[in-house]
Amino acid sequence: MIGIENKFNKSTQVKRYRDIKFLVGALMVLGAFPLVASAQETAAYFKQNCYSCHTIGGGRLVGPDLKDVSNRKDRDWLVRFILNPQAMIDRGDPYAKQILEEARGVVMPPVAGLSRDRADQILDFIEVESALEKSQFEGMKFSDRPFTPADVALGHALFTGREKFKKGGPPCISCHTVRGLTLLGGGRLGVDLTKVSERIGGRKPLSAWLVSPATVTMQPVFRNNPLDAEEILPLVAYFEDAAKQSGDDDSVAPLAFFLMGLAGMVLVLGLFDVIWKNRFRGVRRPLVAGGEMRTSI
Amino acid sequence: MDNAQHYFDQLLFGVAPYLALIIFFLGTIQRYRAQAFSYSSLSSQFLENKRHFWGMVPMHYGILFVLAGHVVAFMFPRQLLAWNGHPVRLYILEITALIFGLLTLLGLVTTLVRRFAFSKLRTVTSTADVVLHLLLLVQVGSGIYVAVTCSWGSSWFAASASPYLWSIITLDPDITYVLAMPFAVKLHIVNACLVIGFFPFTRLVHILVIPNPYLWRKPQVVRWNRAPGTKG
Repeated sequence: MIGIENKFNKSTQVKRYRDIKFLVGALMVLGAFPLVASAQETAAYFKQNCYSCHTIGGGRLVGPDLKDVSNRKDRDWLVRFILNPQAMIDRGDPYAKQILEEARGVVMPPVAGLSRDRADQILDFIEVESALEKSQFEGMKFSDRPFTPADVALGHALFTGREKFKKGGPPCISCHTVRGLTLLGGGRLGVDLTKVSERIGGRKPLSAWLVSPATVTMQPVFRNNPLDAEEILPLVAYFEDAAKQSGDDDSVAPLAFFLMGLAGMVLVLGLFDVIWKNRFRGVRRPLVAGGEMRTSI
Repeated sequence: MDNAQHYFDQLLFGVAPYLALIIFFLGTIQRYRAQAFSYSSLSSQFLENKRHFWGMVPMHYGILFVLAGHVVAFMFPRQLLAWNGHPVRLYILEITALIFGLLTLLGLVTTLVRRFAFSKLRTVTSTADVVLHLLLLVQVGSGIYVAVTCSWGSSWFAASASPYLWSIITLDPDITYVLAMPFAVKLHIVNACLVIGFFPFTRLVHILVIPNPYLWRKPQVVRWNRAPGTKG
């Protein structure tokens, strides 16, 4: 009986030990999980919002290479710049102005969902990635084969929507125009893209930018409908060609559009008058008009 | 300041639409329960019918077309983008929409002038009418301004505004779609909420009681009883 009891106690103790070991292990995993999730989340955030303009150790794109960025300025300056680059430039900060010049006048767009804590997390993340021999954000690889006329034609078709984007993103013409595009031009919600290739800094930065457009307007639209690599190449080809061609100025297109609308409105009003030509015009008015005529005779 | 802006945006685009919809549903139901016979546009055609025609007809046909366009873009954004895939089709749609938008504006301005130009009409014009008129003027004016200066609205509505509206309907508001929009677009959205919220307290309720069955009911023969021997 005693033997059985001891055996029972021993097995219970072993089980308890195993349970505690499992519990401690689980707690360690759970404790570490938020850190891992946080790093992953920051990496995803960086990829979504920063990677289209910056590399970590892969050279500059539209914006500067961020490897060891913490050695260039103190943390407070960097956070202030990330949160509101335009304000730093407006205040005349010399380093902010230098960054602007190096970026050919392209101001870093406001980043969605950015807070002081988030900026700190990003800078911590960049420090960790900078210490690695090869960062996962060293830069994307793009084809460097020469563009062909077929690429330009396909880019034009993608821009206007004749060729649909595979993932369902809206065509560029919805919001952007390029000089010499068509009669009434493209959209004017976004910027004119005639010189975008020169503005952004050439083929590689433009290709990187199109992978994940980071402006506050475009990001939500293309977040779930990113452009395909096979679509980015012809688009870049089209933009390079558009910059060279630099078609006619189409700034009068909105006025032409408005005047067409106005002319159409007049036509429809005429149509209304014809359709309702037998409408009731009152009893008294014709009598008064007739009376006036008789008086004048 | 950034935080204040953040909360302000949340309030305008994440909360206001729900407030407007709640007021719309509760208000229209309560008004119908309490004052069913007030569901009317209170026509003033009897008092003046010349300017009435040039106000009512363009405004109603204009707003019906434009509103239908908004609904189609909201319900079928992909199909709309497919239609707009050819620039000529895009231009045809945009010019047509602009024509009807301008007709709406012309109708609104005509009705507003008419209301204040005739003393009989001023008498039957309530404060709610004036407020509604001004709200509609802002709504249509901002819509036309957006259509002309922020083209092409039919396409970017399908890409940005439609997902935003769906996020509101599915109770998961995603205001990132509209945060960076120009002021006129934001004004159009916020003012739309005001119109919806103000709807139950105005003559707009007549929209809910349009005699739609007139469109498909069997024709009715109307007989006139006349005295024997009279002509006609």
